[in-house]
Amino acid sequence: MKSFRVDTAITVPAFVLSVASATAWFAQLFLAPLTRAQGLTVFAVAGIVSLVTAALCLRLNRPVQGAFRCFLDELSQSDSLTLNDPSTVSVSRVLERSSWGPLADDVRRHLAEMGERVHELETTRSAVEIRARRAMDEADRLRAILANLGDPILIINGYDEVSLANPAAESLFSLDSDSPEQRSVASLLTCQRLVDLLLTTNHRESKGRRTDEIEIPDSSGISHWYRATACRLPLFREGVSPQEDAGHGTVVVLRDVDREKNLQKRNAEFVSSVSHEMKTPLAGIKAYVELLADGEADDEETMEEFLGVIDSQADRLQRLVENLLNLARIEAGVVSVNKKNRPLNEILEEASQVVQPAADAKQITLAVELSPLYLGVHADRDMLLQSAINLLSNAVKYTPDGGRVTLRSRAVDNMVVYEVEDTGVGLNEEDSRLVFEKFYRVKKDKNMAQGTGLGLPLAKHIVEDVHGGTLSLESELGVGSKFTAALPVAGQLA
Amino acid sequence: MGKRILLCDDEIHILRAAEFKLKRAGYDVRIASDGEEGWAQIQQEMPDLVVTDCQMPRLDGLGLIARAREHEATRKLPFFMLTAKGLELSHTELADKLKVLGVISKPFSPRDLLRSIDEVLQPATAT
Repeated sequence: MKSFRVDTAITVPAFVLSVASATAWFAQLFLAPLTRAQGLTVFAVAGIVSLVTAALCLRLNRPVQGAFRCFLDELSQSDSLTLNDPSTVSVSRVLERSSWGPLADDVRRHLAEMGERVHELETTRSAVEIRARRAMDEADRLRAILANLGDPILIINGYDEVSLANPAAESLFSLDSDSPEQRSVASLLTCQRLVDLLLTTNHRESKGRRTDEIEIPDSSGISHWYRATACRLPLFREGVSPQEDAGHGTVVVLRDVDREKNLQKRNAEFVSSVSHEMKTPLAGIKAYVELLADGEADDEETMEEFLGVIDSQADRLQRLVENLLNLARIEAGVVSVNKKNRPLNEILEEASQVVQPAADAKQITLAVELSPLYLGVHADRDMLLQSAINLLSNAVKYTPDGGRVTLRSRAVDNMVVYEVEDTGVGLNEEDSRLVFEKFYRVKKDKNMAQGTGLGLPLAKHIVEDVHGGTLSLESELGVGSKFTAALPVAGQLA
Repeated sequence: MGKRILLCDDEIHILRAAEFKLKRAGYDVRIASDGEEGWAQIQQEMPDLVVTDCQMPRLDGLGLIARAREHEATRKLPFFMLTAKGLELSHTELADKLKVLGVISKPFSPRDLLRSIDEVLQPATAT
């Protein structure tokens, strides 16, 4: 027997012995008492009959077993698609008619339910995978945004350890980009005010943001002003208090406000300068009007002198107001420009006459070396005159007594050029770069002359923005400066 | 000749107005166009009182007063400050540290300047 099994080997003899013994016992009980030979005969016959019955049963059951095995084989070999619909798996007629038929149906039904569950799980898994991929993409995007932000950003966790620093923050605080994480913020940052801001925000109950303006030195030791805005990050788990969970933390964003601070400072200096510049001519006007009112001027000559001072101080005040207004108008783009073809030399001569008294007061030689050619410019006369006056009076202001200021004009290619050169105090590289910025005044020369820091920016606006030319500066500290204004030529040079 | 007053200012018309008013009141007035020139004048001829602007080339008014306070001869020299820098100056510092008698703001009245000086130099006749 090919497929002789242990259970068959035990159950069949047991069945035969049981049936034979039972038959012999019944015969002994209900029939007349049997002799030993009769008993053995009954036992043997019953044994043979039961053995034959068992053999017949086994033989009849074999096709059903085979059919069930085939059914299970077919199920086990089917892929997930057929598993989703096990009804497609065929059941042999033999198995259907046997007592195993309902069991096969049960197996098929359970498999169908399992198939549905598997399908649901697969759908859920796909959705979770998509969500995870999206979350990872989102995290990558946020990381890229943080990395490319110019503002330093620091995040600390609930244990006051730095958990994230973008490159701007790493650079500002000289953090090691490989392992800035999970180190105490107090040991990483030297700026105590920033540490205090972070720790206070991290450990307080209210979630509002806190802002402070903090001076932080960069890696080269130069201090910069930052506006630090700190706020608590939301808890990652609902219903967990900050004390129990380190998932919360604080983020601080630092915005460089150096430029704003400087602008505020410069504006304040400008208001102070303008106020001082206005008060000085006003002081002259008021003082001389009072002297006249008090009858202090006995003779006509004195009276004329007083009136002359009042007149010149009123002119000075007017020039200051015009400078302010012109600069504001040009910057706002609302200036009305009256451009016509005009001779540059005439405008320059007029400018030199305006500045001559200031030069005389300091015994400065004002040399006017104008080109003999007709230099035509398409210009607004008043504005160009203003630019030349501003450059000349700047030269006179910052040239020591007895020095020399030269005003030149010439033609260069398709441009007409006028230059103002002085033997003044000169500027270093940084001041040369900043001197055309509004309200900027050279620190070392502030006490040398009064000014508003408007004359040179206005001249530059007039030459470049209004007339399409260029205004450049060459300067050497302690030697002098040369401002060169180049304007497009109008008409033919003659 | 009246008492000597030194005026320091880089604005010539301010100097002239103050000088005119004070001279007419009988004072001996000297002028200087910056702090250094003023200091040279002080050393040459000690004035009874100095009126100085604040913002001047070379040596400003505060520098001039501070220098005067460093020298024994000028430690108690009376100073008035005549300036357009009103609120920017610390009046406490001017009064306590530099012992400045008063700050006269520009635009100023020559009449009031004379009155302030009279109160210091001729208290009996000042009205």
